[in-house]
Amino acid sequence: MTAGRPGGRTAAVVMGLALLAPAVGPSGRLAAQDSQFGIRGLGTPGKWESVRSRSAGGAFAPFDAFSPLLDASLADVRRMSASVTSGTSWRTLDAGGAGASLRGTRFPALVIGGPLAGRVVIGGGFTTYLDRTFGIITHDTVDLRGTPQPITDEVSSDGAVTDLRLAAAVRLRPWLAVGAGFHLLTGSSRIIATRRFADTAYRTSSARDEVAYEGSGGSVSALLDLTRDLRIAGWLRSDTKLRADVNGRTAAESDLPLSYGAGAMWRVGGRAVVAGSVAWHSWAGAGPNAHDTFNWSFGTELGPVGSPLRLGIRGGQLAFGVGQTPTEVGYSAGLGRQFSGGRGRLDIGVERLQRKGTGLTERVWTFLLGLTVRP
Amino acid sequence: MTRRWAWLFLLGAAACTEQATSPGVCPNFCPGGSIQVHDTIFTAIIERDSSFRGYAARSQGEGLAAADLPVVQSRPFFVLSTMITRLAPKSGDTTTVPISVDSARLRLSIVRRAKEATNLTLRLYLLPLTADSTSDFASLDPFFSAAAVDSVNVSDLLARPAIGDTATVRIWGDSIRTDSAGHILQIARSDSTLVVYFSLDTTQAPFSVPDSGRVAFGVRVTADSLASIRLGANESVTNGPVMRWFYHYTDRDSAMTVKADSALRAPRFDSFVFDPPNPPLDDTTLVVGGAPSARSLLRVAMPAFLHDSFDVVRATVILVPVAAVQAAPSDSFTILVRPVLTDLGAKSPLSPATEAFGRVVVHPGSSDTLRFELTDMVRSWAIDTTFATAFFLGQIPEAASFTEIRFYSSRVSAFRPALHVTYVKRFPFGEP
Repeated sequence: MTAGRPGGRTAAVVMGLALLAPAVGPSGRLAAQDSQFGIRGLGTPGKWESVRSRSAGGAFAPFDAFSPLLDASLADVRRMSASVTSGTSWRTLDAGGAGASLRGTRFPALVIGGPLAGRVVIGGGFTTYLDRTFGIITHDTVDLRGTPQPITDEVSSDGAVTDLRLAAAVRLRPWLAVGAGFHLLTGSSRIIATRRFADTAYRTSSARDEVAYEGSGGSVSALLDLTRDLRIAGWLRSDTKLRADVNGRTAAESDLPLSYGAGAMWRVGGRAVVAGSVAWHSWAGAGPNAHDTFNWSFGTELGPVGSPLRLGIRGGQLAFGVGQTPTEVGYSAGLGRQFSGGRGRLDIGVERLQRKGTGLTERVWTFLLGLTVRP
Repeated sequence: MTRRWAWLFLLGAAACTEQATSPGVCPNFCPGGSIQVHDTIFTAIIERDSSFRGYAARSQGEGLAAADLPVVQSRPFFVLSTMITRLAPKSGDTTTVPISVDSARLRLSIVRRAKEATNLTLRLYLLPLTADSTSDFASLDPFFSAAAVDSVNVSDLLARPAIGDTATVRIWGDSIRTDSAGHILQIARSDSTLVVYFSLDTTQAPFSVPDSGRVAFGVRVTADSLASIRLGANESVTNGPVMRWFYHYTDRDSAMTVKADSALRAPRFDSFVFDPPNPPLDDTTLVVGGAPSARSLLRVAMPAFLHDSFDVVRATVILVPVAAVQAAPSDSFTILVRPVLTDLGAKSPLSPATEAFGRVVVHPGSSDTLRFELTDMVRSWAIDTTFATAFFLGQIPEAASFTEIRFYSSRVSAFRPALHVTYVKRFPFGEP
């Protein structure tokens, strides 16, 4: 008891910091990981994964209560708990010889959950649904007043569509848990479009506005323990249209996908867990450059529960991109460490992604940092 | 544990920097919308334009035009202020003694000249004290036809070597050029102004006690060609004519000491007359310049769409001159465009917002179309619809020269003023 009190305080402080971190961060930083492929589409879909899941390629996301993918997994939360995810990415672009190096820090997910009454657990939080942060600079020459004028255009967008989730899960049987969730899609992006002229007789033209996004969705899911060591998961999610409003006027309305997926997790002895998952998203109706996607992942967690080593691999397709459907392959690894007698857990991970599409290859290193606390 | 993992937080904090902008690979990896620029010449939106004369009289300009050109003759003149005729030798004395003027030195500043002019000569004439704002070229011409009281060849002085010995610099403050007649020429360090000093005796600058020492002078300029200069006027503060009277008086003390002193006098009135005078205003032209000065008011009927969805990046007013300005090349002048605060016609108050001003230099002899860049002014009109969409054209400096320019007004449809606007369409926000 005496030893536990300081640990409890530490966990409470850490949780406070964890909750505060996204709040005090610059607005519009609740995005996941941007990609140039999302510029011609609605954005870059987020990864609904905690650091633990993402370090294992995303394979554990269906089974991880702090990955905002499945609602049913909340049923395993025994006490009020919270988890926050942050990621810093370094991204290099190669577009036919033209390259660039970009970086950004994001807080892509926050999950809070706890028992409500009996076997019912509720949870919620936010995660990035579509990232809308990018900046583009182009140089050109236009004919003005009979004279060629060099110009520089810069279009920058800062923001995201955020998925605010309210979910509930219940363990109906010891081997069956089900869950459902309501998703409010909201957010905005500040867009600034600037044209500069080399000739100072022409003034720089800069227009800025804020696009507000709105949509909603629902999800259902189930976890089924086939044996003591084998668990399978299935989920289904349907989102409505995404409305983009500018100054109260609807500028665009886009269909959002029906998504579904499944996963399996196998506990191999006491010191190893392997998992795999697949997911489908019907993004093709979202616009002219949208594609249906299929993604898979496989990962493992090795070592003791208090300090495991995680490895994972993932692959699949990206939702947006001109021409052929862009593909993505990723490798990840990470470590976890419990502290304060299991009241808190710190997860770190590193992920290497390579995205390929018509005319563009992206390579991304991402450092992940996650904190889960149970005050 | 805290120390062990603290580096992670530090790393995270250090990485909290953003670089999201990259060169665009368009169109595949650029936003769907693009920034579109358009260019239109509005030929009929400048309307209800008018000219008005009389904003500044010839005597109110900061310069005095002197010219002897085939197309125009211009002659400055000035009347010096009253001079003391008696003084109290000592402070506190109640009795005064008369002064006796020995000589005078007149300073004239040539603030603009044609550097190519040769044998540029200034001639000084005595004028009646009645010379004033009602005087015209004809009324003063007889006095300019009389013998000059003095003359100086400025070109010759300029060609002489500068004298810069210690004594000279101590007295004059800088090196000087001088001739055998005692004329002094200095070149101002701050600009190219030439300061000419005339040494005058009492026959050249008569000191009349009944007139309280007032005296009037007129100036003519001649040269082999390009005889057109501008003298600084009293209104220029620093470059106006100045007379230094040298006098002596007798202190009626026990020794009856004779003491010498001097006093400066600036003009009480200065102006210039020229022939031929500026033609009267008419409906078909917009006039800017001349003396008394003329300004033109142009009103713009801004198209509604420029207020709403467009960003003006360049706006140019196009004016077609009726004819080239007749003057020497050195008589170029600036036309300043100023927006009005509110449109009250000829007496509209002018905006002090210098960033909205436009200006263009008018070169005599050229009849090219003039273009005034008024981008900031038109942008302000587009942003704030409460602004009066009108502006004045005025000469800089005003009423300092006989030069004026005439443009076709909106009543001449073929050459009416136009507004050339380059604008950017509103970016299609919200579209993927």
